Amino acid sequence: MTARRSSSPKDAPRILARSGSQLGIRRLRWTLVVFLAIVLVSVGKLVEIQVVNAEEYAESGVRQRARTVDLPATRGRIYDRDGDVLATSVEAATVYADPRVFQPSSTSDGTPVPAGADADEVATSLASVLEHDEATIRERLVDDDRHFVYLGRQLDHAVGDAVRDLDLPGVGVLAEPRRVYPSGPLGAQIVGFTGIDGEGLQGLESRYDQVLAGHPGMLALERAPGGLDIASGVREVIEPEVGTDLVLTLDREIQHAAEHAAQRAMDEHEARGASVLVQDVQTGEVLGMASVPGHDPNELSETDDRTTWRNRAVTDVFEPGSTQKALTVAAAIEEGLVDQATTFEVADAIDVHGSRFTDVTEHADEVWTVSEIMERSSNVGTIQIAQELGDEDLERYLRAFGYGTTSGLGFPGESSGLLMPHDQWWGTSLPTIAIGQGVGVTLMQLSSAYTTIASGGTAIEPTLVRGTVGDDGRLTPAAGGDPRQVVSADTAEQLARMLEDAVIGEHGTGGHAQVPGYRVAGKTGTARKPNDGERGYSDEYVATFVGFAPVDAPRLVVSVMVDEPTPIYGGTVAAPVFSEVMEASLRALRIPADSAGQDLSQAMLEAQQRVESADEDETDDEPDGEHTTDAP
Amino acid sequence: MSAVTALQRRVRPEPDDRHLQVVDAPARRHTLLYALAIVLVLGAATFGAVALNALAAAAAVESRTLDAQVVEAERQYAQRIADVAALEDPARIRAAAEDLGMVPADSVRHLQVERNLPADGAAPPTDTPGVRPDPLKPLLSAER
Repeated sequence: MTARRSSSPKDAPRILARSGSQLGIRRLRWTLVVFLAIVLVSVGKLVEIQVVNAEEYAESGVRQRARTVDLPATRGRIYDRDGDVLATSVEAATVYADPRVFQPSSTSDGTPVPAGADADEVATSLASVLEHDEATIRERLVDDDRHFVYLGRQLDHAVGDAVRDLDLPGVGVLAEPRRVYPSGPLGAQIVGFTGIDGEGLQGLESRYDQVLAGHPGMLALERAPGGLDIASGVREVIEPEVGTDLVLTLDREIQHAAEHAAQRAMDEHEARGASVLVQDVQTGEVLGMASVPGHDPNELSETDDRTTWRNRAVTDVFEPGSTQKALTVAAAIEEGLVDQATTFEVADAIDVHGSRFTDVTEHADEVWTVSEIMERSSNVGTIQIAQELGDEDLERYLRAFGYGTTSGLGFPGESSGLLMPHDQWWGTSLPTIAIGQGVGVTLMQLSSAYTTIASGGTAIEPTLVRGTVGDDGRLTPAAGGDPRQVVSADTAEQLARMLEDAVIGEHGTGGHAQVPGYRVAGKTGTARKPNDGERGYSDEYVATFVGFAPVDAPRLVVSVMVDEPTPIYGGTVAAPVFSEVMEASLRALRIPADSAGQDLSQAMLEAQQRVESADEDETDDEPDGEHTTDAP
Repeated sequence: MSAVTALQRRVRPEPDDRHLQVVDAPARRHTLLYALAIVLVLGAATFGAVALNALAAAAAVESRTLDAQVVEAERQYAQRIADVAALEDPARIRAAAEDLGMVPADSVRHLQVERNLPADGAAPPTDTPGVRPDPLKPLLSAER
């Protein structure tokens, strides 16, 4: 105060200004201090967040907003050779529940929490939609040990929608793929089936599982608490690789004809089972492969008879019987020992190493050509031919025809048949094997052997898969085996003529195999079945017929095997099946008949003449005799 | 000396002792305008950010809707393929034909047409020279 008093009036503004600026500075300093404190706190927190606990916070953030969505790969389809769908995948609904919702619980401090929903009410609501009984659903809803239970898997999409509409607490619906087979039992043993999780379990679904399955993808994104995607957030997509489609060599029409005929034969002859195989002579492709009894892969259950899952044409081994004689004769012709005109004096029985082999019917000693031996299916004559051939050569040719090894089809569970090495044969092996006993083959092997004859002596590896279709939609053909010459074209031609005689000849056993309009060659077979697990033969038989058509330019081989039929004969049981399937197959492939050749105008002319002729007949029958005829 | 006197003295300085001069008041900084501009810019920026986010959210909703529509369309397409294949099943067609009173033809006549039809293996020509048509292409597409 003294200073102020002593100050001159001149100093007053200066003092005022100084005190004002000091105040401002002081305020500024305080402000700075406050800001500094705030900054320090902020920096400290930032250091804590960004440095000290950076990892923990980052993980927490990711947990809060990041979502990973699995993108399942669509399993490839399976088509027949013409692009008709045999197996595909559709979206199905899976209904699940969280049993915790239906149970009372308590918090960590012991406060009781009532159940979120009433299990009885939910079970009642679901029972009619899921078509399950309430008790079963309720039992699953109150399963205390689990947090997730399935109430129904792979249900129709509409069922899923109905469950969603109910909006039941603790119950949810997931979408998952379901494998469907639109043609049901058609080709079921070949196509196979998948498990409930989409993994191939049987047939080609299993064999080509890696190809069909594809690879699942993943979508990583940031999602807000409400479930909405954060548009500006991270979004990474690993696209799923769609499974590759498989195109089979099967023809759906031919497959149906084969299955229909096999089923009818089985029913008519009270057989245990039947197999039919249709093979393209030029390519070796399997166009039809039927096994009955069959199953519907859309309706599999635990109680199914699993023997119906078996593709008998490649898994079941049987003795080929007389169908084998063609191969024995082919070997002898190829070795130059006989030709179709070579004659043998044939009795109705022959003794070899103490065993007696007889023909089916008694006859006097006859001089028959090789062709007649084939036509009459003479056991004795064939054994005589085989004796000239010998063990080693017979085995060698049978192996060349495909006996004793798998066909190359690559089908799961395919059998290689049974053919002992000739050095392990005993005295009666040669005559036994020559007539198709004591040797085991699959229908696929037998069909391949006849395909070799039909294709001029060239063995072509059979195929069941035509190729794959990738993303580009184009067919990538499957690799095939190299053809190999087994017998000469001349030998094959002689065989074809002899086999034609076996069908149309006066003494031929395959008369029922004829196909109207086409020349057919083939051979019947009737063989006793060996006992299961012990030596000797049972009283049951296998009836077979294998043949091809048209004879001049063979296109198709059809093989038929009927297991334990009544009657037992291949000519009675299997040959009609051959005829039916061959006719349907030739028609499906539009193979011209041997008797065809007329053009459309000729056919129309003939039809017109037939109509006029029929009208004239009607006119003659009319009492008043007045009738006019119009041209068609 | 009171503050009033001091101010009076400043207003009337002595001519012989002028250490200080009367000057014009410093130009007022337009603080209000400046603050207003800042507020406007900040407001515009905030509005822009909010608007952009809103647009993005709307686009996300639309995208999600479209995704759902695509998924539903794909589901329906897959289901239709299965349905059509089931309808084409030879066993079903045979049963339907028999229900209509049809029977298998007992005599078959064969005709030779003058030109091959696609079903006889006549492949459609391609536009690209030197490129062979894929035999399965028409069968696995809409051309089927």
